[in-house]
Amino acid sequence: MEAATLDVVVIGAGLAGLMAGWQAAVRGCRVRVVAKGWGATHWHAGCIDVLGYYPADSQTPVAAPREALAQLVRATPRHPYALIGTAALAQALDAFQQLCAAAGYPMHGSLERNWLLPTALGGVRPTCLAPETMIAGDLRRREPMLLVGFRPYLDFYPALAADNLKAQGFPARDVTLDLPRPEQRRLVNATNLAQLFERADFRAEVVDALKPHLGDAARVGFPAVLGMHNALGVQRDLQERLGRPVFEIPVLPPSVPGMRLHRILTGAIERAGGRVFEGMEVVAADVRDKVVEAVWTEAAARRKYHRARHFVLATGGILGSGILAEDTDTLREVIFNLPLAAVPQRSDWFDAEFLSLRGHPIYRAGIAVNERLQPLDAAQEVLYTNLHVAGTTLAHCDALLERSLEGVALSTGFAAAQQCEAKNT
Amino acid sequence: MSTEHFYPAEWTLDCCIKCNICTSACPVAAVSDLFPGPKYVGPQAARFRAPGQPSPDHSVDYCSGCRVCNMVCPSGVKIAEMNARARAVMVQQGRVPLRLRLRNNLLARSELLGRLGQPLAPLANIALHNPLSRWLAERTLGIAREAPLPHFARERFTTWFRRHPRPNGAARRVVYFHGCSTEYYEPRVGRAAVYVLEHNGCEVIIPPQNCCGLPLLSNGEFAAARAYHQRNVRHLVAYARQGIPIVGTSTSCTLTLKEEAPELLDMWDEDVQLVAANTFDLHEFLLLLWEEGALRTDFRPLPWRLTYHPPCQYRAHRLGRPAAEIMGLIPGLEIVESHAACCGIGGTYGYKVEKYAIAMEVGRPLFDFIAQVGGPLVVCDSETCRWQITHGTGKPAVHPVELLALAYGYPPEGALAALAETL
Repeated sequence: MEAATLDVVVIGAGLAGLMAGWQAAVRGCRVRVVAKGWGATHWHAGCIDVLGYYPADSQTPVAAPREALAQLVRATPRHPYALIGTAALAQALDAFQQLCAAAGYPMHGSLERNWLLPTALGGVRPTCLAPETMIAGDLRRREPMLLVGFRPYLDFYPALAADNLKAQGFPARDVTLDLPRPEQRRLVNATNLAQLFERADFRAEVVDALKPHLGDAARVGFPAVLGMHNALGVQRDLQERLGRPVFEIPVLPPSVPGMRLHRILTGAIERAGGRVFEGMEVVAADVRDKVVEAVWTEAAARRKYHRARHFVLATGGILGSGILAEDTDTLREVIFNLPLAAVPQRSDWFDAEFLSLRGHPIYRAGIAVNERLQPLDAAQEVLYTNLHVAGTTLAHCDALLERSLEGVALSTGFAAAQQCEAKNT
Repeated sequence: MSTEHFYPAEWTLDCCIKCNICTSACPVAAVSDLFPGPKYVGPQAARFRAPGQPSPDHSVDYCSGCRVCNMVCPSGVKIAEMNARARAVMVQQGRVPLRLRLRNNLLARSELLGRLGQPLAPLANIALHNPLSRWLAERTLGIAREAPLPHFARERFTTWFRRHPRPNGAARRVVYFHGCSTEYYEPRVGRAAVYVLEHNGCEVIIPPQNCCGLPLLSNGEFAAARAYHQRNVRHLVAYARQGIPIVGTSTSCTLTLKEEAPELLDMWDEDVQLVAANTFDLHEFLLLLWEEGALRTDFRPLPWRLTYHPPCQYRAHRLGRPAAEIMGLIPGLEIVESHAACCGIGGTYGYKVEKYAIAMEVGRPLFDFIAQVGGPLVVCDSETCRWQITHGTGKPAVHPVELLALAYGYPPEGALAALAETL
């Protein structure tokens, strides 16, 4: 049995879980990441938001995250950033940037300033780290842009984005191209467009069709489908052929930039000797006293047992289905049935407005933890000493509203891994 | 069998949040417009399927059944099962042309083919593998002429086993489910499995058994599959009742006994569940032995670097990669694991003339990966995947248990014998 005991089992393969798995594996731990399926990485924009709005209901984007973070940590001591400290956040971002750069996919930016990038709707999106493929879209600069769509591709409407940008004073035009003949498929989605963009002949044809429309455009924006494996090469080739900077705008899921990060992180975990399994849903846990001994995953015909010294819970919040609303008025953490903090009265779960600038109070609900990310009960007692909680399962943070989702995920995943020790160290 | 998390496939369609992760992972949708993707064909089309109503389906038959969609779905939607059931309705309602249905039934009757062909092995092999007969089979039946048909073995596996001396003093008993391919085409896999099990103190029992029925299930021939599964359960349940593990080397056979047959055919009686609960993939079983400290590790080193492709049907057991973990115990052996979605063959899928090109296109990333890794041969647990890999790369392919048997000192056969001479 001893041979089969892992150092760390991470539950969940979003950014928090993958970061925890990678960091623990790098620290010499025997790591297994188990996940119900692919999730958060395939849904998000492929950027790292650290703090976009502060206070959360402010309408002015944060210009310099480091300053706003200092205020946030002082004002909300139970916020995940306050618990782990901004030094851990900075370390996590640094490790992540080094990993991505080494993978040939640099994520640019720092805590000193946020980028302002265009959304697929023509909104303005503050984010801390963005891939090289996106930063030429920065709206702190005013050069006119041309936004390009493809007629059979239904997940990006360049006219919508350009019109909204223009209405806010950013010079933007749009053009919608037909796909070159042989590639004209009935069904075009982000992943098969990304495959096509990896081909030089396809890019040449797109550029030929695009050139007559360039006009005064000083930069050209595409939906974020510029290649899956070699995005930088695709972007540079397009820039050379078009003679101006090219950038990607994230579109509806499944997100190609998110998949690139998924690939980088899972590859890093495996190179460090860890394993990542999807299609393995944790359905039960064995606990004794204040220790989690094992978890069980659903499998064909019977469950599979995973015994470990440490467990990282990174199942996501309500969106990631780590927390479920069971009947009409109770919330439940799905694996350990951990008590949930910051749960408002049922009548106050939601703001009256769907797109409220105040957010919906229910999204602040989650698991309360201490500085070691161990779950706490209502009396602030540690429930399980070898369980560490990371990501949006944590309470006291509305990551969607304050635009901190990926920053909270990466930094708490990083901090959770620091709590895990390999057997032989 | 755990049932508290079990829901019929159709009930899960409401869990679909339309995120399209399945479509981005689907290896068939990536290469063909004939299959629009799991989300459209599965949970979306399911809204238009009602009992007793005409089938609304056109494209569901282009699902290869690889189950990658199930594995990546963050919401627990049983897409592959929905597709299999929808295909069965098409078959039932006569929506599959008679000629193709005849062809599908021929391809899906691996046991019948084996029984007829194996006794005439040399002759049958010539008849099956010459260009003229392949051309004819394509024109008349729609069996792709290039697709990798296996060769009949000169001797059935069970004939060898009856001759094989039983070891004394076995610590435990194990039922071996060999499946059709071991019995009629690749008995060397069964011999390696018997050696490995006996080396670890098991007495191997081989009761009468049928085809598991998976090829029929994946061709929508549910009634015939049910008859096979009922017979298998009848033959195996006495052992399951005694708690004797039923161990298989074919990952799709064991998945069928564990889950596919009960779930798709709605067979939930006690005997079916007992057999399911006592069925193990061979390496799953060996890994359990290892965890108990009961697996022998007197391996001799195998100084090779080989690609290992875990078949889709193996990943669908949701066990991780037990074979890779066991092979990892062999000193000197470096296993490079493939992350390719699928080899393309999908059991009988890649043998069909209208699907052959799709299957080869699906397999291309795997073939490219194997070429890039290099190495004298490829390792894969599933028979049709091995044949497809050899067809797509020109490299021979072996079952992981063959490496294990060799590492334990048993005589290698086939492609592995040639390689072992270099040791």
